[in-house]
Formats: sequence, structure tokens, C-alpha cells
Amino acid sequence: MSSVAQAVAAVAMRDVRKLFRQRGRLLAAMIRPLLWLVVIGGGFAAAEPAARGANYQDFLVPGVLGMTVLFGAALAALATVYDKESGVMRMLVIAPIPHAWIVAAKAAGAVVVALIQATLLLLVLAPFGYFGAAVSWPWLAVGLAATALVCACLGILVAACTQTLDNYAGMMNFFLFPVFFLSGSLYPVERLPAALKLAAAANPYTHGVDLLRHATHTGPAFSRATDLAVILVFSAAAIAVAGARFAAADVFESRVRRLAS
Amino acid sequence: MTDLDGALAVAASGLAKQYGATPAVQAIDLAIPNGQFFGLLGPNGAGKTTTIHMLSSLVAPSAGAARVAGFDLRLQRLQIRRRIGVVFQGLALDLSLSAAENLRFAGRLNGLRSTEIERRSGELLALFGLEQHRHAPVSALSGGMRRALDIARGVIHRPRILFLDEPTSGLDLLNRRAIWRHIADLRKLSGMTVFLTTHYLEEAADCDAVAFLNAGRIVQRGKPAELVDALGRCLIEVETDQPGEVARRLQPRLGAALIEPAQVSFACAQEPADLASLERELGGAARALRWRRPNLNDVFLRINQPHDRRCAA
Repeated sequence: MSSVAQAVAAVAMRDVRKLFRQRGRLLAAMIRPLLWLVVIGGGFAAAEPAARGANYQDFLVPGVLGMTVLFGAALAALATVYDKESGVMRMLVIAPIPHAWIVAAKAAGAVVVALIQATLLLLVLAPFGYFGAAVSWPWLAVGLAATALVCACLGILVAACTQTLDNYAGMMNFFLFPVFFLSGSLYPVERLPAALKLAAAANPYTHGVDLLRHATHTGPAFSRATDLAVILVFSAAAIAVAGARFAAADVFESRVRRLAS
Repeated sequence: MTDLDGALAVAASGLAKQYGATPAVQAIDLAIPNGQFFGLLGPNGAGKTTTIHMLSSLVAPSAGAARVAGFDLRLQRLQIRRRIGVVFQGLALDLSLSAAENLRFAGRLNGLRSTEIERRSGELLALFGLEQHRHAPVSALSGGMRRALDIARGVIHRPRILFLDEPTSGLDLLNRRAIWRHIADLRKLSGMTVFLTTHYLEEAADCDAVAFLNAGRIVQRGKPAELVDALGRCLIEVETDQPGEVARRLQPRLGAALIEPAQVSFACAQEPADLASLERELGGAARALRWRRPNLNDVFLRINQPHDRRCAA
């Protein structure tokens, strides 16, 4: 393994190790989607018995899987901002790897963390019959991986443009919730008003959830090719922009400048 | 800047850093031989940390050139980072990981193999007295232990040059002494070049060479003992409520005075033969009068004293 690959793996493994040490975080990652699925899904299923021919709870399954991946990956990537504020970033910037690679490493860690959480949720849901015989497991795996990638890249892009996470509630309200609500997680995209429909189509996370809908046969809105193309193009662009910002902005330089002023 | 035979660990020429209209470092020249223990001293905001960040390739210089460990600072950043260790003012540790896990993480970031990391971690934890705490989370360690671990983190990959940016800042005397013992042991074992900045000037007395930085410029450099000797053999201090008056009266006999709010001091070539006569001369103007040997703090004070506080003879 090259020294750069080893460094990237070390950063990713650190994030995974931290996930398993924070049992509360793991538990929350399970409880949140279950609440949506059982309580809100149950409630809406009673009010709207069928969405596109499917039971609303069945319709919601890819949505809560996507939600788990979104929160898991984006929050893991956003933790980069905490790393900037703490000593960890000092350890990373002085390592003999290009600074742009640190961004890729953090994104890789966020993907792995999100996939672990999604896998645990799958293990919880499967015995209750939420995944019928029609589910395409290989496509579900592809969908989860692609969704994790796009969410990690969204998180890393925001982290690259953020100096502090003082306003955590603001971050949730102005970033994570809009991304989640403006997707096809809770309702079919094509039934949204035109402006929201356009916003949902432009939201890269929508295409991750849509891939999960393909795998679970719960009414996808776009073709698989469109979903994959949007996800790959957005992820590549996000990594490039975040990497460039990270390498040029120099976490250190900005801090030194603040101190000097 | 010449380092044709690679004998210099750090060679800098006209190195400068500008933040907007603010000059942080102004055209400094450095020539630090391999294995030297070098101290860069100066008041807060003098540009010490910016200099370390430039030399460790974390901040791009605005002007000038430098070679660190034989590599060009602008073109060979990664090669430089492979050969240096940096201990920042703030800790570079993950508080949620254990001491051993932090060293493992740092080792992997630096491209070391697992067996090498284990061996090196064992050596360093033993050297720094942290063996018993290898599995303790860093958040449970004392400030002194954390700093010791941070230095171990900085040298896990056996760097040629170790940059220490105020490594004992915020530590009590016992911990500061322990840290310096560790650094002395490290230097003895590895022969590495050490580039130090510190506020505690007595810690710089052991340096092979020091440079004083003020407002981004090097204003004095030399061996600590020679700089201290240049002040004279003794320093006469007068505690007083009338520093201007005391300076005016004694300058004709003792030379230039350094005036502080409640004290005036004079650097003299010889020990005073008769302090009592000086005291009589000052009458009630002196609360106390004494003499002592000068040290690096006195060199620092004279360099950084504003001109309006310095009275020429």
C-alpha cells in the first residue's frame, strides 16, 4: 500500500473506530429512521392508504434508509469542521500527504460510517418483512453506496466552506433538513409543485434515494443512468472543489491570518 | 542562502510573510547547521509561529526562499514534511483516542509500517514515561503527559528536524522540567536539529544559537552565553517610584539605563564595589538596590524595550 493510500485508510479507520465508541450515536442512527417508519409512516398510511400502488410504509423504507445514510455520512463529513478546531487537523496537515487528499480521506471515512449504519438498519428491518422478495439486493447495495458517496460529498463540501460548527442547529435547519425534505424520501417527487419538483431534481441526494427506489420497486422518478450520472458528476465536482479549497485555504493560513489581524 | 553540501538543516534567505497590509515576518535570513539546537525568541506577535509555519510548509511565504532538510520550501513540500516533526502551540492529538492509538494514527499518516509503529511507540512511551498510560484516553491524561505525548507524536517518524512552537506553554515548573529532560534525551539519542520558540527564556539558555525576533525582523542573534556576556558582568537594579529621576542621576556613572514602571536597571562591566554609596547618593529615591548576574531575559528586555523607555548615557 502506498503511503498516501495508507494515510487515507488511517483517516477512514479512525472515523469508523469513533463510530463504534459512540454507542449513543449508533443507537440514535437506528431510532430516528424507526420512528419515521413506524410512527409517521403508520400515521400517513392511515391517512393516505396507497401511494403509487404501494403501502406508504413500504414507500417510506427507501426514504428511511436514505435518511440513515444522509445523517450518518453528512454528519461524519461535517465532523471535519470539528477536526479543524481540534488538534486532529494539525496532525493531518503536517502529514506528508497532499492536503486535497485529506478531503478524500474524510469523505471515504464518512461513506464507510454511513454504510455501517445502513447495514445495521437493514438487519433490524429485514426480519419484520420490510424487504419483499422483489428487492434487488445488488442494486440496493449499489444504491446505498452511491447515496453514501453523495451525502459524504455534500457534507465535505459544506465542511470545506465552514470555519466553525458553533451554530449546529443552523447547520441542521439550513442544510440537512432541506436536503432531506427536498428529496423523494417522504413523498413522490413528481407530485410536488413545479418549483419544488425542480429543486428536488437538482438535489443530488434525491438521486440516491431514487436508486434505492429502483432496488425496492417503490416508484422511482428518474432512470438509473440519470441517477448514477448525477451522483458521480456531483461527487467528483464536490471533492474537487472541497479539495481545492482545503489545499489553498490552508486551515492554518486562515487561522494565522485571524490571529495576526 | 547557500547549502551546497547539505550541512544546513534550515537555510532561509529574505523569507517574509505578509497578511494583507500586515507584515508578519520581514525578510529573515537563517542558516541552521544540522544537529543544532536553535531558539527563535521574541514577544507575542513577533512572527515566531508564522516563521515555523512557513518553514514547515504549512503557510506559503510571500517572499524569499528557503531549503529545509535540503529541500526547496516552495517546490518540495511533501519531501520536507517527511523529514520534519512539528509540535504546535496547541496539541495535535485526538483526545478521544488512547496514547498508543494516537501514536499509531500519527505513524500511519507518516507512512510507517505497523511493526515499525509498534516498536517506535514502545520506545517513545518508555522514553517519555507514558508506558503505564498507553491505553488511557488522552482526555484522561494530565497537561504535562499530553504535551509529552504530543512531542512523541511529533518524532514518531524519526524526523531530521523538530520544530517546537512554545512546547512548555501553560505547563507548571515540574512538567516543564520533565519536558526538557525528554527533549534533551531525544537529542542525545537522535542528534536531530531542534528549532525552538519559547517565552521562557531560561529554557533557551541551552540553545547552541538564538535569534531575537521583533516585529517580524531578526534584531539580534548569537550564542546565548555571548549575548549575555555582551551585557556585562553584572546588572544593578534599583526599585523606585521615580525611575526617570534615578536614571538621570546614575547614568553618568553606570551608563545606559533600562527604565521600567517601578524599576531602573543598569548593565555594568564589573560588579559594583560599593552599593551603599549608590544608595546614599539616591537618598529616598530608591526603595531597594541590588545587583545580580544578567541572563537571557535581560538581553530580551533590552532588545524589546521601546526606545522612549531606554535612556542613553
